[in-house]
Amino acid sequence: MEAVSVKNRLRVLRAEREWSQAELAERLSVSRQTVNAVETGRYEPSLSLAMRIARLFGMTVEEIFELEPDRA
Amino acid sequence: MTQDRLLDRLPASPLVPGILWGLTYVGARLALELDLPPRIRLIIALGPVVPFMLALAGVVRAIGALDELHRRVHLEALAIAFPLTLLLIMTLGLLDLAVGLSPDDWSYRHILPFLVIFYAFGLWRGWKRYQ
Repeated sequence: MEAVSVKNRLRVLRAEREWSQAELAERLSVSRQTVNAVETGRYEPSLSLAMRIARLFGMTVEEIFELEPDRA
Repeated sequence: MTQDRLLDRLPASPLVPGILWGLTYVGARLALELDLPPRIRLIIALGPVVPFMLALAGVVRAIGALDELHRRVHLEALAIAFPLTLLLIMTLGLLDLAVGLSPDDWSYRHILPFLVIFYAFGLWRGWKRYQ
């Protein structure tokens, strides 16, 4: 099975709106650490959180998150 | 009673009952050094169970309020602490058979701090991983 990871555009989208991580975290009702971990790719969010993120930015989940083959 | 109503009845935080448990545990530990009647010793030994259960209820409620990353970190901490605890108990059991460990040095009460250390290690590792 091909190893894949999830990449996301969360940092870019947040920067476009000039939101801090704390502000985005508050809008999503999660901790700032969670936002940071998702942005840096260290944590893959649940489907529920991914959908909440997509709804907040007015986009689909696929427009924010995409599967990418692991380079390792 | 709905689950929400049940949760509302649980302690809001494990902190106060946790401290109470710690105090009753230390108190029981010291009191059991005294020469007391067996029935009183039994009551003292079981005393910390009640505040521990309250603390546990507080933990359950606190976990319900955590976001998903925090829950994951705690789950991973448990996933580390549990096998380490098994390893410790298994090793102590075998060492006891091999060389006969003294109950003054190794007993249930001596294992307790290791469980806290294992869980703290798991938490530290989890936060390091996701930060």
